[in-house]
Amino acid sequence: MMLMLASHTAPDVMRVDHYNFPSLVKKGYFYDLTKLAENDPTFHRSDFFPQAIEECLYKGRLFGLNVLFGGDLIYYNKSMFRSAGLDDPAEMAKKGLWTWDKFRECAIKMTKKDSDGRVVQFGFGAPGSSATFPVLACAIWGMGGDMLSKDYKHAVFDSPGAIKAFQMIADFRWKDHCSPTQAQGENSLYTFEGGKLGMVFDFMGMSPRFRKVIHSFEWDVCPVPKGPFGNTTLCKGNQLVMYSETAHPKEAWRLERFITGEATEAELYVRRRRCFPTRKAMAYSPEYLKSNLPPFNNWVFVDAVEHSRPLPINDRWSEWMTAFNSEIDNLIAGRESDAGVVLRRAKIKVDKVLADEAGF
Amino acid sequence: MSVSTHGHRRKITHLPGFWGFLFISPWLFGFLFFTAGPMLTSLWLSFQKYDLVSVKYVGVENYRRLFFEDPLFWKALKNTIFYAIVSVPLGIICSLSIALLLNQNVRGQKIYRTCFYLPSLVPSVAASLVWQWVFNADNGVLNTMLRMIGITGPQWLQDERATPWAFAIMSLWGVGGARMVIFLAGLQGIPDSYYEAAKLDGASAWHCFRRVTLPLLSPVMFFNLILGVIGSFQIFTSAYVMTGGGPNHASLYYALYLFQNAFEYFKFGKASAMAWVLFSILLLLTFIQFKASKRWVHYEGGDK
Repeated sequence: MMLMLASHTAPDVMRVDHYNFPSLVKKGYFYDLTKLAENDPTFHRSDFFPQAIEECLYKGRLFGLNVLFGGDLIYYNKSMFRSAGLDDPAEMAKKGLWTWDKFRECAIKMTKKDSDGRVVQFGFGAPGSSATFPVLACAIWGMGGDMLSKDYKHAVFDSPGAIKAFQMIADFRWKDHCSPTQAQGENSLYTFEGGKLGMVFDFMGMSPRFRKVIHSFEWDVCPVPKGPFGNTTLCKGNQLVMYSETAHPKEAWRLERFITGEATEAELYVRRRRCFPTRKAMAYSPEYLKSNLPPFNNWVFVDAVEHSRPLPINDRWSEWMTAFNSEIDNLIAGRESDAGVVLRRAKIKVDKVLADEAGF
Repeated sequence: MSVSTHGHRRKITHLPGFWGFLFISPWLFGFLFFTAGPMLTSLWLSFQKYDLVSVKYVGVENYRRLFFEDPLFWKALKNTIFYAIVSVPLGIICSLSIALLLNQNVRGQKIYRTCFYLPSLVPSVAASLVWQWVFNADNGVLNTMLRMIGITGPQWLQDERATPWAFAIMSLWGVGGARMVIFLAGLQGIPDSYYEAAKLDGASAWHCFRRVTLPLLSPVMFFNLILGVIGSFQIFTSAYVMTGGGPNHASLYYALYLFQNAFEYFKFGKASAMAWVLFSILLLLTFIQFKASKRWVHYEGGDK
């Protein structure tokens, strides 16, 4: 798609992952939809979750419509919780008892070894090193930390909250041994659907797959744990955008409206339960909240978006993430154990990327 | 008039090399338009700041930044040189050994040849995924075998000290491929009479290899060395698939870093500059090898 955009041959309508949206919209590749939206009597911004709109904005103008949107949450193996004698985490969350301490306690209790000392099941799975940071953003925010400053000009990983969060994530692996190391987690040896992980962080988009393949145990969803600063989680979507040089903006807008329209969302997200709707009324509707198919705690999807904020994805995201991950690798792979030392070094690297002139 | 035209026509077709150039013209055309053109464009780009939208002339700034301000450039270069130093000799020794074995007259020789060639037919992405399993620190074949003899294997793809070696080991995957076939062809080009003569003079098998096989194989060896060095500097797929350059940039190879700069960070000027630096390095290395080859490459019927 990059080549099509650069060579002026891109299609009228495209789907872009939000990781790439800020860098591409800045280059002027996308059509400004603000006017089309204003002139469309059936389009009302207030219908949508504000986060779903926020992701599509650039300098206050609308450049896309959100699809595959949702908040990060936890899928948990209900049967495993029960057989370890643990309370249901979704119930704990309702009572305000689902904290990171409780999470750790459950993860440790569900980790089991065979007679040779090899782990047969882990309490929870954090994805590989490079994916750890976005998915566990909730830990950073929950501890009062953050990633970038508000203007995205410099990194703030060295804040006490962020250090505390990363120390906790590393300790889950290397001190509590309740989460697979990178080597253990490779090649899908411990998967949630295989019944070898008690909990896994993911989005609603995983539900159809889990529904299809999990038959040997009960599972459901619960919110991310609460830290001293709450349980804010991350939300993310993809943007349906229009090519800036399209010759058919009206038709392209109609197509975008159809793909993200009420009827489509009702069919795909409410009836078929494939993903999270971007419309508030649809997410709060009894049809969406009540389900005959797992997961049954559909309020968790709504709760996740309500308690969510977007990741600090700017036009240099992939560059500064590479710099960041090269340091975090040391902590997550267990070569270093002091999160503070690692994060302070990461901050220097990321600051250098952010300060550098773009394009060099 | 007609005679002279006729004569003129005759002249063109009789020009030396006319038919030769005619027959290679599709390649020439392809080279000029699809290789030389983009190459020159990338040379021009290496003096610009280009992010797919705007182009700005920046002189040698891309090169200056590479050499003096980008530690990752040096890291990638160092990783690649290490890979070349380990994998090229190792690969040549192994390919030659296999070729020697497959050159023996044994039953099922063709089956063996096919078997050894097969791995190089596997697409490199698939091979990388297989090797990811092999290198799995907990359940991988390699560490399981090491465990059997009482050695605790390293975390091949997670420990930055082990990762460069993992890639060097993985480079052996292709030793039964094209390089081996070239060696085999070279071996078969050595007349039996030389060995018979050597044997009559009382030469041992080692002496036959050292004094007959190796010198006569040296042009083939030279060819494989040049291609091996160039190939090793272009390692990309396995690192892209297996580690993405990690852990801590231990497998960030030159071509991978170049790719990231171009297609992930949209720094086409910098990536073009990197491409030309790599081209210069390879040109220099090849030149040195050609110079050095006069000392050890033996061409039959020619001067040393």
